[in-house]
Amino acid sequence: MIIVTGASRGLGQAITERLIGKGEKVIGLARNNISGNIDAIRCDISDYASVKKASKEIKQLKTPVKALINAAGVASMNMALTTDEATIQKLIQTNLVGTIYCCQLFSPIMLRQKQGSIINFSTIAVALALKGESVYAASKAGVESFSRTFAREVASFNVRVNCIAPGPIRTDLLRGITETQIEKITAQQVLPKQFQKSDVCDLVELLIDEKASSLSGQVLSVGGV
Amino acid sequence: MIIEQAKEIVISAIKDALEENVEVKEDMQLIGGDSSLDSMKLVEVCLALEDLANEHGFEFDWTSEAAMSKSRSMFRNVAALAEEFANQSEA
Repeated sequence: MIIVTGASRGLGQAITERLIGKGEKVIGLARNNISGNIDAIRCDISDYASVKKASKEIKQLKTPVKALINAAGVASMNMALTTDEATIQKLIQTNLVGTIYCCQLFSPIMLRQKQGSIINFSTIAVALALKGESVYAASKAGVESFSRTFAREVASFNVRVNCIAPGPIRTDLLRGITETQIEKITAQQVLPKQFQKSDVCDLVELLIDEKASSLSGQVLSVGGV
Repeated sequence: MIIEQAKEIVISAIKDALEENVEVKEDMQLIGGDSSLDSMKLVEVCLALEDLANEHGFEFDWTSEAAMSKSRSMFRNVAALAEEFANQSEA
């Protein structure tokens, strides 16, 4: 079984659909209803009690968990100077603290199995220090740092932790970003083009697979930085 | 579950995790500089206690507020962990 947070839309939805298509059993977590024939649990990752409740439900299934994919996240493209307090709190609480909650509360299932793969999501905005994404990038830089350290903490349990850092992928998070702005960002990548959700899904498949058993504590940037 | 039974269970789980024939006393620290258990061994103890709790018909939650609180952490020593284990068996 694979747990996917943020499964109701964007990358989380695309990953969920890809994995189901590959024959994997997926439990989707989301604040909202998840469309389609998907086993789902209502969960707000920014709320510790909500994540804990979801982890109990999953534990009660007594099904081996192959991977945890923390795709839930929020974005707000703005200069730090013009970002309001509530938005700052929401970005950090959801992207960073929510990812930590999920890793902390879902990983014991994998620790017990002595096997598993955890995939967290960052952004190339961290490595590229993109203007207008300071708070969002800060929240994701925290995710990268947490992931590298957490990878070491759970390594002896044969649980791997890695990050995928996408560039500008067309999802709701990019609402309001123009094609010109996207081109300016992708021009800074090693591979200067816009990648798609399917490219991210390919990396997810790789990191879940045993072929990636030598990878842990890594940040894989889509397009390269 | 009475506290003495909980202490026996906790001490047994710690000895198993340490994989050594060491004496485990009630005041043995479970976290901090003087602990014989590293953080990974402590996780192993907690996973073992989950199983043992199931055998006794209750759920042991080691991510509870009591576990995480610095001031009254159940990991401060063996006796505190046993007390929390016993308390959760009665909940």
